[in-house]
Amino acid sequence: MRCVSVLGIGETKMGKLPDRTLRDLILDAGTKAIADAGIEKDRIQALYMGNFNSSHFCRQSHIGPLASEVLGLGNIPTMRTEGACASGSIAFRLGYTSIASGMYDVVLVGGVEKMTHRETEFITQGIATAADAEFEVNIGVTFPSVFAMMANRYFFEYGNVRDAMAMCAVQNHENALLNPDAQLRKRITIDDVKNGAPIADPLTVFDCSLVTDGSAFVVLAESGLAERLSRRRIVDVVGCGHAGDTMIIETKKSLTTVAATLRAAAEAYRMAGVKPSNIDLAEVHDCFTITQILNIEDLGFFEKGGGGAAVMEGKTARDGEKPINVSGGLKAKGHPIGATGISQIYEVVTQLRHDAGDRQIRKADIGLTHNLGGSAATCLVSIFRGR
Amino acid sequence: MAGKGTIYTYTVIHSAAEDFKNKVPYVVAVVEEDGRRFAARVEGYEPSKPISIGMEVEHSGEDPKGRPIYKFIH
Repeated sequence: MRCVSVLGIGETKMGKLPDRTLRDLILDAGTKAIADAGIEKDRIQALYMGNFNSSHFCRQSHIGPLASEVLGLGNIPTMRTEGACASGSIAFRLGYTSIASGMYDVVLVGGVEKMTHRETEFITQGIATAADAEFEVNIGVTFPSVFAMMANRYFFEYGNVRDAMAMCAVQNHENALLNPDAQLRKRITIDDVKNGAPIADPLTVFDCSLVTDGSAFVVLAESGLAERLSRRRIVDVVGCGHAGDTMIIETKKSLTTVAATLRAAAEAYRMAGVKPSNIDLAEVHDCFTITQILNIEDLGFFEKGGGGAAVMEGKTARDGEKPINVSGGLKAKGHPIGATGISQIYEVVTQLRHDAGDRQIRKADIGLTHNLGGSAATCLVSIFRGR
Repeated sequence: MAGKGTIYTYTVIHSAAEDFKNKVPYVVAVVEEDGRRFAARVEGYEPSKPISIGMEVEHSGEDPKGRPIYKFIH
């Protein structure tokens, strides 16, 4: 396989953006990424677009040609990928493999979601389509309730980590204070989280990621070509793992270890030839606070059952030994579902280029992104190295 | 004699999708019965009575799909 590098990145400000259409979001982030790559548009040979559910939220499908037209990419092939909250990372993996295989030399990968213009129940319904319609949604299961059930089972198996869950939200909010693209730039406390409006016990509204409009894009290129074209520090894609698990909560072997994360991470670490201890920073899928604790254990950063203590000891804070979600994460930067995986890559590449300004972490040479879809039924883990 | 199951995990839902918003707060759980696990609603939730993992619940019927519904034994 050929080596692949990230040549350009761009993202919108994340948030509730009532004045911006899907087209506006795509145009903003896509134009930034192409400009950042410093290439002419006619070099782009294919477009892969992650989008979860614009068919529901915006009554708009066929996002590939929509994005291509908005960005003026002519007659190149386009495709929309859907894998719930991992839709963007699936698009990324397809773009990656299309270059690694030798089929293309330069591709554009994007993600977009627009949802804040809808009522809460309509949004909940749309998000719930990522769960099993027949066996879960029909009986009243919601997305937060799936992760709430994981949290209660985790408390039973490993002990109560309620405060550590709240601390994940507190730390992510702290990090977002330094990110100009973040949706919520507001300091919160552990008590704010625990006393928030209840959603699905033990989760309150402060344990849940945000409802967000936003878009993010990356330009990928064959590494030799990237070296010739790039004016910046080169960021290589050194590992990219993808795995799945059963769709419904009752058929998963464990609710406290995410099997799809274990497998995707093992593949990515093997490809990259690195260990969890080599990772300088990670953007992990904090759809809910409990998920952040599961993720940092399943990615091998901390032992099983030890994630909560690591969070409370500050090890995952931006100045800790393993900075997690320095962007603010899904909790505070935002969760524009189909764009989330690409936005995670945006942050890691920004850090590995040493371009993160006020939020730059001290040592940033190897970074990891972890993106889950649905009830942890899809997982992608990618590893990047700056040079 | 109604069958019994035990709660493997559960949550009380306070924020529901459109079809269930008039039912909050309600309980969904993963219930173990005869070595199988089912995602199911557990009816008869009373906020004053605590729920715990391992607690027995009673099989109270089936939904139109033939999936079990449970109720709390108070």
